[in-house]
Amino acid sequence: MTTQANDVRPVPTAEWVTIPDLFDDPYPIFQRLRAEAPVHWVPAVDRYLIVGYEAAHDVEQDAERFTADEAGSLMKRSMGHSMLRKDDPEHAAERQAYGGVLRPRAIKAHWNAVFEANARVHLDQLKAAGPGADVVSHFAAPYAAENLRLVLGFHNATADDLQRWSQTLIDGTGNYADDPDVWAAAERSSAEVDTAIDEMLAHFRDEPDHTLLSGLADMPMSLEALRANLKMTIGGGLNEPRDAIATTLWALLSHPGQRERVLAGSRWADAFEESIRWVAPIGMYPRQATRDTVLDGLQIPAGARLGVHVGAANRDPAVFADPESYDVDRPKVPHLAFGGGSHFCAGAWVARASVVGVALPQLFAELPELRLDPAAPATIQGWVFRGVTHLPVLWS
Amino acid sequence: MPTVTYHHDGGTADVLDVEPGTSLMRAAVRNGVRGIVGECGGQAMCATCHVYVRDPYLGALPDISEDEEEMLDCTTAPRDADRSRLGCQVVVGPDLDEIEVDVPASQV
Repeated sequence: MTTQANDVRPVPTAEWVTIPDLFDDPYPIFQRLRAEAPVHWVPAVDRYLIVGYEAAHDVEQDAERFTADEAGSLMKRSMGHSMLRKDDPEHAAERQAYGGVLRPRAIKAHWNAVFEANARVHLDQLKAAGPGADVVSHFAAPYAAENLRLVLGFHNATADDLQRWSQTLIDGTGNYADDPDVWAAAERSSAEVDTAIDEMLAHFRDEPDHTLLSGLADMPMSLEALRANLKMTIGGGLNEPRDAIATTLWALLSHPGQRERVLAGSRWADAFEESIRWVAPIGMYPRQATRDTVLDGLQIPAGARLGVHVGAANRDPAVFADPESYDVDRPKVPHLAFGGGSHFCAGAWVARASVVGVALPQLFAELPELRLDPAAPATIQGWVFRGVTHLPVLWS
Repeated sequence: MPTVTYHHDGGTADVLDVEPGTSLMRAAVRNGVRGIVGECGGQAMCATCHVYVRDPYLGALPDISEDEEEMLDCTTAPRDADRSRLGCQVVVGPDLDEIEVDVPASQV
């Protein structure tokens, strides 16, 4: 960046921002912050919070100035030191070891049929629960969990195990309040995952298949790194597709005109991509400045711990017109919900296949009368991770 | 220094002098060439640096790897059987001193 010294401003401090307010609804807070500067020091979260698109994009494309290997990382404490908190070339070698398991060719050959079968099973369970059922706990969560279990190759665990592991490990990653009960639950899950991995690796060395764990069984990766990477993948591979399904459904059910256009044109990809722009399931991720530097005109000191809020960047009015609205017809601009640069989401194609290709079209095909329950409103919460946590629906 | 020309709809073009060893994606992103996104930073993972290579340069290109092949089936603008490549997989240097590409109307 070649910004001249006299253009550089100090980062303002936002004393007024609180974690409970962010958890409840971060978007009005982001609007107020963004109007003043793209980066703020936020004492409540102990980070430089990035809320502007250009600043967020600059950070994720420049690993030399902004390392992913953050000191004092909550994710490292909760899940171990995964590739998500490493820079290249170390990160690239571990990512390479994931091979083609999560890429389009394998999805087409092996996983689409699995996703379709799982969607049928869980749609039947949703229908059995009857009108008024919560579509998150009766469809989105168990469907995402079973898909993930089979893609990863945890033949010795249940979808419920995967849900418990994912939620408790992610709760640790977002444990900014340092709650000891949250740490205890994360530690229990971490130990359970380690045991399950050890069992499956021994199995796959004799009987390999198409799963991720099988592919990793004979890879030259330390067991410590493998365990951490699997925990990261359990976190990102379950809650994010779950939240993407629920948020997209909520968006379509509360915007009847757009629902009609999406259905008429089978525009499930547009509905999904706009939904994760609008409410990014992974809202914020950390980076740390490796040197004194300037970011979008603001002075960042060496060692600064940053919170790159792609959920905020995705609503930057400098890039997206009318950014607070859900609009499947908005001009196509790349959103940052899958991250960018070398840490671009490894599960992006699995998410698109399982949500866009299967879950959304099957839900509306099986339950064309799907609608919100006026007596039981949806709940939406979170700011590090954000999603619809409870979505009661009716059908005829 | 090798030269890369990015042709846009409507007849405009960006012409860059590029350090040998640089990919068409990296050169475009560094210099703000519109229409090349390069979301995944060059891992042949996102299909947002799709370009159509102009005919005279097709013979000088490296073979298409398996990873590039599957991404070329995931591009937003239609794939051209001969001319479609990922910008991150085409690197200028001694074997490719000059290249001209057309930038698709959309990458996302």
